[in-house]
Amino acid sequence: MGMQEPAIVVEDLHKTYGATKAVDGISFTVGLGEIFGMLGPNGAGKSTTIEIVEGLRVADSGVVTVLGLKQPRAARAIKSRIGIQLQTTSLYPRLTVTEILDLFHQFYPNRQTLSTEQLISMVDLSEKKDTRSKQLSGGQKQRLSVALAMVNDPDIVFLDEPTTGMDPQARRALWDVVEGLKRQGKTILLTTHYMEEAEQLCDRVAIVDHGHVIEVGSPRELVQRHFSEIAISFQAPDGADGYQALAGASHAVREEGKVTVYSNDAPRTMAALLERESVNGGALRDLNVHSATLEDVFLKLTGRALRD
Amino acid sequence: MPTVLSLYVANMKEFIRDRAALFWTFAFPIVFIVMFGAIFSGSGSHTYNVGLVNQDDGPVSATLANTFEHHVSSFDVKSGDFDTEMNALKQGDLDLVIVLPAGLSQTVAAGHTAQAQMYLDPSRSPTDAQTAESIVSAVLDGYNKAAIKATQPLALNVNSITSHSLSSIDFLMPGILAMSLMQLGLFATATPLVSLREEGVLRRLGATPLPRWQLISGQLLMRLTIGLVQAALIIGLSVSMFHVHIQGNYLALAGMTVLGALSFIGLGYLIAAFAKSVESASGISSAVNFPMMFLSGVFFPVALLPAFLAPVVKALPLTYLADGFRQISVGGTPLFPIWVDVAVLAGWGIVCTALAARFFKWE
Repeated sequence: MGMQEPAIVVEDLHKTYGATKAVDGISFTVGLGEIFGMLGPNGAGKSTTIEIVEGLRVADSGVVTVLGLKQPRAARAIKSRIGIQLQTTSLYPRLTVTEILDLFHQFYPNRQTLSTEQLISMVDLSEKKDTRSKQLSGGQKQRLSVALAMVNDPDIVFLDEPTTGMDPQARRALWDVVEGLKRQGKTILLTTHYMEEAEQLCDRVAIVDHGHVIEVGSPRELVQRHFSEIAISFQAPDGADGYQALAGASHAVREEGKVTVYSNDAPRTMAALLERESVNGGALRDLNVHSATLEDVFLKLTGRALRD
Repeated sequence: MPTVLSLYVANMKEFIRDRAALFWTFAFPIVFIVMFGAIFSGSGSHTYNVGLVNQDDGPVSATLANTFEHHVSSFDVKSGDFDTEMNALKQGDLDLVIVLPAGLSQTVAAGHTAQAQMYLDPSRSPTDAQTAESIVSAVLDGYNKAAIKATQPLALNVNSITSHSLSSIDFLMPGILAMSLMQLGLFATATPLVSLREEGVLRRLGATPLPRWQLISGQLLMRLTIGLVQAALIIGLSVSMFHVHIQGNYLALAGMTVLGALSFIGLGYLIAAFAKSVESASGISSAVNFPMMFLSGVFFPVALLPAFLAPVVKALPLTYLADGFRQISVGGTPLFPIWVDVAVLAGWGIVCTALAARFFKWE
């Protein structure tokens, strides 16, 4: 069996808005059946990139291939094969969940679609099937928009910040839905600025900042590539410095009031840290010891925190 | 079910389930017609309440008085003295007062021109004032001609083909009908469309393979339905409550409604194409709505406007729609031949729609 063609290929994408270079040479590949995440803070260029791949925007330059077809020339053909989850809170506010799904079926005349019943149970909205969309909660509206993205039983599903503004329960409910999609063999491209989301869901992650892809790899790979160390973080007053000189420490990063010391020998570094603080008469606040996460990777690679 | 039809049904459901929109869309023209109808309709034929002050005691004034009292069917004449009648006129109990001054018969007998006086208040109803004046003039004219005693080469025999004379509500109804279609195109089209764009709905629909023309058609059919229902309400109420008599055929009326609606919906699309926000769409719609309301012959004939405004009047599409409706429904005096009305409205509709299609932004 030969190599399967990738689901998405993005080559050297560029897009400028006025004075802002939103996308500055982004390239990546998404394989069939994987969940691929673009992780980065707001304004990193993730949404613009995904919109270009979806065909909602046109790039200034670069090549985008989706399921072997090129954007934007084959946009119409691509649209019938992909599902796009967009946050529209006011799509037909007075139609019920069932009515909206039925309507969207009409937009895919040439395609085998999933029935409205299947879609409703897939996103766990059975109790709300006759509820008007404006009466749904935020989390329920997001699940409806995922259902809408699935009407045409797409090969690729695009999710743009799918759990923004959701409470932890709703977030987990949505993650279950996404994992269910993967089990069905769908390819998923999502953007997020939540580290846990990327770690939980994604097979591979591209770290994006300022319009660039900085690194790509599975969440585990990315962490292991950069950190064999443990991270020790705490609140330190301004001016306090020199933490990387602590015993066992490899380097330290300060982000405003918070210092993170990375160490290969956590017990030794902890001891050294505590001694230093007691000598200086200070107390360590918000002390936290953890193995590195994608957040740490991001911090290390860009010098900035993932969250606003 | 074809996709356009599904979209149409979805749009109609969305509209009907919005009770506020439903109310305003249909209550507004109903209120207008009922208000104007109640104020301006009579029993159907307009009778003038006339006060006759005969200060003369000669044969000429006697003949004239007799003519006014018994031979002018639309005059309901009461005789009285000057002060009483003038008071009544000022109170609004009379429409006009005719004064035949002392010495009138003598002046005529002596071969000189005698002046009869007529008092009225044109501000109360300009159209009625003109009509009353011409009736009185005609009576005097008739006397003049009879006095010369020559055989007149021509005489006019007037046959009324309407069952009753034109009342103000007959004039107003077509104007209000035209106005409600204009507002359908402006406020009920432009603003909601921009709102859909602002909320990202257009974009969400654009993310599907749905062709844009189908999306627009679904919207268009819905607005057209609303326009036709509004028209039916306005015409129905005018005919049943206020005895407006529809002369033309209802098919032509329906056709004019569809044409007018499409024309103004096209204008609404054009505004939505360029307006960057809901507020801006609303503002532009108002800026277009108000001049047309007052300059297009909706509430009063355009002949009453000053001459320098004539080019403006001719440039406004509402002028042609109101004129077209007036001609078809009540047989009012045409401003333009009906084919001109149709052509101008069709032209406006096509040009606006073409420009809108070219420049519309979906995000």
